[in-house]
Amino acid sequence: MSTHTSSTQGLPFSPLRGSPLSASPKGQLNSSKYPYRVFLGLARWWRAVVEQSPQYLSAVLGAIPFLALVAIVIILFHEAFPAIKVNGGGFVTHSKWSVGSEYANPIRRDGVATPVGATYGAWPLILGTLEASALALIIAVPVSLLSALIVVEKLSARASRWVGVFLEILVGIPSVIYGLWGALTLGPFLAHHLAPIANHIPNVPILRFFRGPTYNGEGLLTAGVVLGIMIIPIIASTARDLIRQVPASLKDGGRAIGMTDFEVSRKVIWPWIKSGIVGATFLGLGRALGETMAVLMTCGAVLGTTAHSIFSNMNTIAATIVSQLDSAQTDGTGFAVRSLAELGCILIVITLICNIGAKLLLSRATHDTTTT
Amino acid sequence: MTQRPPSPALDQLNKKRRFKDRLLWGIAACALIVIVIPIIWIISQVVSKAIPHMSMSVLLTNTIGNGGGLKQAIVGSITLLVLVGAIAGVTGIGAGIYIARYAPRAIAGFLRSTVEILAGVPSIVVGFVGYIALVVGSHWSFSIWAATIVLSAMVVPYIAKATEVSLRGVSDSLREAGEAIGLRDSLVLRKILIKSASPGIVTGFILALAISVGETAPLLYTAGWSTTSPTFSLKHSPIGYLTYPVWTFYDFPVKSASYLALEAAMLLIILVIALIALAHLLRHKLSKNLPQSL
Amino acid sequence: MEITKDKAITQLDNFANVNQLLVAESPKAINVCDFTGRFHGRTVVDNINLEISDGSITAIVGPSGCGKSTFLRSINRMNDRISGWSRQGSIELYGEQVYANDVELLSLRRRVGMVFQRPNPFPMSIEENIACGVRAHRLAPRSHMKDIVRARLEEVGLWKAVSGRLKESPFQLSGGQQQLLCLARALAVQPEVLLLDEPTSSLDPISTQAVEELLKEFVPELTIVIVTHNLAQAKRIADNVAFFMNGSLVEFGSCEQIFDSPKEPETAKYVSGIFG
Ligand SMILES: Nc1ncnc2c1ncn2[C@@H]1O[C@H](COP(=O)(O)OP(=O)(O)O)[C@@H](O)[C@H]1O
Ligand SMILES: [Mg+2]
Repeated sequence: MSTHTSSTQGLPFSPLRGSPLSASPKGQLNSSKYPYRVFLGLARWWRAVVEQSPQYLSAVLGAIPFLALVAIVIILFHEAFPAIKVNGGGFVTHSKWSVGSEYANPIRRDGVATPVGATYGAWPLILGTLEASALALIIAVPVSLLSALIVVEKLSARASRWVGVFLEILVGIPSVIYGLWGALTLGPFLAHHLAPIANHIPNVPILRFFRGPTYNGEGLLTAGVVLGIMIIPIIASTARDLIRQVPASLKDGGRAIGMTDFEVSRKVIWPWIKSGIVGATFLGLGRALGETMAVLMTCGAVLGTTAHSIFSNMNTIAATIVSQLDSAQTDGTGFAVRSLAELGCILIVITLICNIGAKLLLSRATHDTTTT
Repeated sequence: MTQRPPSPALDQLNKKRRFKDRLLWGIAACALIVIVIPIIWIISQVVSKAIPHMSMSVLLTNTIGNGGGLKQAIVGSITLLVLVGAIAGVTGIGAGIYIARYAPRAIAGFLRSTVEILAGVPSIVVGFVGYIALVVGSHWSFSIWAATIVLSAMVVPYIAKATEVSLRGVSDSLREAGEAIGLRDSLVLRKILIKSASPGIVTGFILALAISVGETAPLLYTAGWSTTSPTFSLKHSPIGYLTYPVWTFYDFPVKSASYLALEAAMLLIILVIALIALAHLLRHKLSKNLPQSL
Repeated sequence: MEITKDKAITQLDNFANVNQLLVAESPKAINVCDFTGRFHGRTVVDNINLEISDGSITAIVGPSGCGKSTFLRSINRMNDRISGWSRQGSIELYGEQVYANDVELLSLRRRVGMVFQRPNPFPMSIEENIACGVRAHRLAPRSHMKDIVRARLEEVGLWKAVSGRLKESPFQLSGGQQQLLCLARALAVQPEVLLLDEPTSSLDPISTQAVEELLKEFVPELTIVIVTHNLAQAKRIADNVAFFMNGSLVEFGSCEQIFDSPKEPETAKYVSGIFG
C-alpha cells in the first residue's frame, strides 16, 4: 500500500485551513482574481442568477403541462357550451345526426343560431365507442397479462428485453398503418374466414349478435381487434412492472411448499397484483376510447345506427370528430362544429374518468407493495 | 423415519398438476406470439405491397394531385419532428426536472397527476382544440406552428414523465456525494443527476418523437396538407406529412394514389423503427459508463 | 490561521475575545452544544454535547437506528434539505457556527468532507471524479490538475491500479477501489474534517484494512469522525469513541477508557457484545 505522499507533489495538505465559512466578500471569491469591487458584486450577482436559473426556468416549463390541460378543457367546453344548451339531454340518447339545411335561413334555438333541421344524437357513437373498447379489452387483457407473466417469470433478461422492444414497436407503429392493415388485410381476412364459421351460430337473441353480414370486413369486430392489438403494450408493460414488484421471498415461499410455477402465479402473484391489473385495464380503456384513425379506417363509419352484430359497420366518438369536421365546416352558423366539440367533451370526460381511476388503482397497488 | 409407501393417487395428482402447469405456460407463450404476429403481419404486408412501386422518384418528387412522389411529405414530417423535438424536448425535460428536483412535494404530486392526465387526453381532442383555437380562432389557417404546438402538447407529457422517472431513479447518495464536496446545485444537476438519468431521458424523448411522427388525427385539421415544401410563416403555412397520404389515398380508386399510400406507410414504418433502434443504441451507449447499466 | 505562541501573546491585547486564543491553543475541531435534531417532530438526535479535538480520530458507535448517521450528517448540514428535518442547538467548526445564517454551504462542505456507506463515484471518468471538486472550488489552476489527480490517487494507494485508465469509467473498479476513489475525491478539495459513515461496511476485509490504514495516516493533518458498526474497527483506529443510543450520547471518552473501563452500564453491555 502507499505511503502518505500528500506533500511530495508540492501540495500542502490544507492551505485553505481556516478559510471562513461565512459568505463575506473576502471569503468567497478571491479578490486577486476580481480586482474591482463593482466587478466582484456583478460577478456574484451573475453567479446567483446562473445558480438559480435552472430552478426558475424549470418551474416555468413545469407549469406548461398544467396550463395546456386547462386551456384544452376550457376551450373545448367554451366551444361546446351553446351546443350543450341546445342539444340538451337528447344528445346522449338520440341517434339521428344531421347538419340540417345549408340553404334555409338559420333559426334561433335557446338564443343560438342553428340551421333548420339540425339535429344531433350521439347515442350510437357512445355505444359504439364502448363496444369497440370492450372488445379491445377482451382481447388485450388476457394476452397482456399472460405475456407479462411469462416475461417476468420464465424468460431470460435478454428475451424479455426483446419483448420490450416488440411492445415499443407496437406503440410506435402509426395508427393509420394499423388502420391500413385493418382495412386492407385483417378485415377481409375476418370476413372471409371467421364470418362463415360464425354463421353457424344459431340465429337467436343475444347469440345473434355474433353473426351477420360482413360489409367487406369493415365493422365492429375488425375495429375491436385492431384496437385490442394497439392497447396491448400499455397494459402489458404496466402488468409487467406490477409483477416485477412482487417480492421474490413470497414466490419462493410458495415454491418451497411445492406449488408449481403456475400455482404460484395464481395463489401468490395474482392476489398481489389484482387491483393494479384493474388499473392497467382502465389505462388501456382510456387509450382505446380515444383512438381515432385506426378505428375510423376499420369501423365502416356509419352515422345514425348502432351495430346489429359484431360484423356490422359502426362508429365511435373520436372517429366521428375527424370524419364529420369537414362537412361541419359547411354549416355557416358553426353549430355543427360546436356539436362536435360537445362530442369531444363527452370523450374527454370519459377518458379522464378512466385515467384518474387507473391512476388511483395503480398508485394504491404500488403503495400496497411498499408498505407490506 | 419410515419410508412412505409409494402412493399411486399422489403420483397421479402430481402428474396432473405438472401437466396443467405446462399447459398453462404454453398458453402464456401463445400470448407472446399474439404480440409478435401482428407486427410481422403488418410490416410484411405493407412492405411487400409497397416495394414493387418504390423508386427513387418517390423520394425526389413532390406529390402531384394524387400521384407523383412524397418528397415534400418526407421533408414536412422531418421538419415537424425537429420542431416538436426542440419545443417538446425543452418543455418536457424542463418540466420533468422541476417535478423531480425542485418542486415542493405537494406541487410535485399535483404536476405529476397533471402530466398523466394530459397524456391521457385523446390526440383527436388536442387536435380539435388546436383547430378551434389556432386555425380558426386565431385566424392562423392551416399552419406549421399550429401543428407543432398540437403535437408538442401531445408528447410533452411522455417526455416529462420519462425525465422525472429517470431522475428520481438516480440514487440519493450520488446527489449527496456531490453536495458533500460542495458542488453547486446546478453542477450537481448537470454533471451528476442528468448524466445518470440520461439513458432514460433520451429513450423517452426519442420514443415520444416516434409517436409524434405517426400521428394523423391531430394534424389533419391543423397542418392541413401541402404539395410543396414547408414554409415557416405563422399563418397560411400548411405542411405535408407522411401520414396524410396513407389516410387519404388508401381507398382511392386510382392506382397511383393507393401506391402512394403504401409507400408512405412503408416510409413511416422505416422511420419509426429507425427511431426505436436509435433510442436503444443511445441508451446502450449512455448507460455504459453508469453504475446501473442495464 | 497559524498563530505561533509569541505572536499570540503579543496580540493578546488586541483580542477582545479570549476564547479565540484558547481555540488557537487547544483547538477543538468540532464543538457540539446541546444539539437536537428531529424528523417530522420525532427526536432522532437528542441533546448532544461533544467536543472533537483537532487531528483525532473519533469513532461513533451504537446500535443501528440510534441516530449516528443523522448526527454525522448534521455536521456538514446534509440534513438541511431533507423534508421534516428541524434542529436546535449549535455545532461549531473551529470556532465558527456551522448553522449561522451567513454560512456559505459550499465552503462548509469543502472544509468538511464526507464518505458514504456505499461507494458512489460520479458518473464521469476516474480523473474527472477527482478533478471536478477541485475545479468547482477553484482550488488550483487547470494546469495543475494532472498533478493533483495523481497526488490524490497516490495518497489513497490507487494510482498504480488506475494510472493507465484515468479516462475510463470508475464503475469497472472493484467496490474497494471505488470507495478509495470516493475517499480521494473527498480529499481533493482539501477538507479539514472528514466524516465517514460506515465506509467499510460494504467492503471486503482487505479493502477495509487498506481504508483503515489510510485513515490512520491522515491524522493529525485531518480530523476524522467515523461512524462504524464494527467495534473491532473502532478499537483499531479510534483515539476517542462516542457511544450513541436512542439518539443520545451515552458516553464519550478515549478508546481505551470506553473499551476497558466504561462508566455507563449500557456502554459496558454494548462493548461486551450483549446487544447491538
Ligand atoms: N430522512 C429521514 N426521514 C425520517 N426519518 C429518518 C430519516 N433518516 C433517518 N431517520 C430516522 O432517524 C433515526 C436514526 O437514523 P440513522 O441516523 O440513520 O441511524 P443509524 O445511522 O444510527 O443507524 C431512525 O429511526 C430513522 O428512521
Ligand atoms: Mg447509518
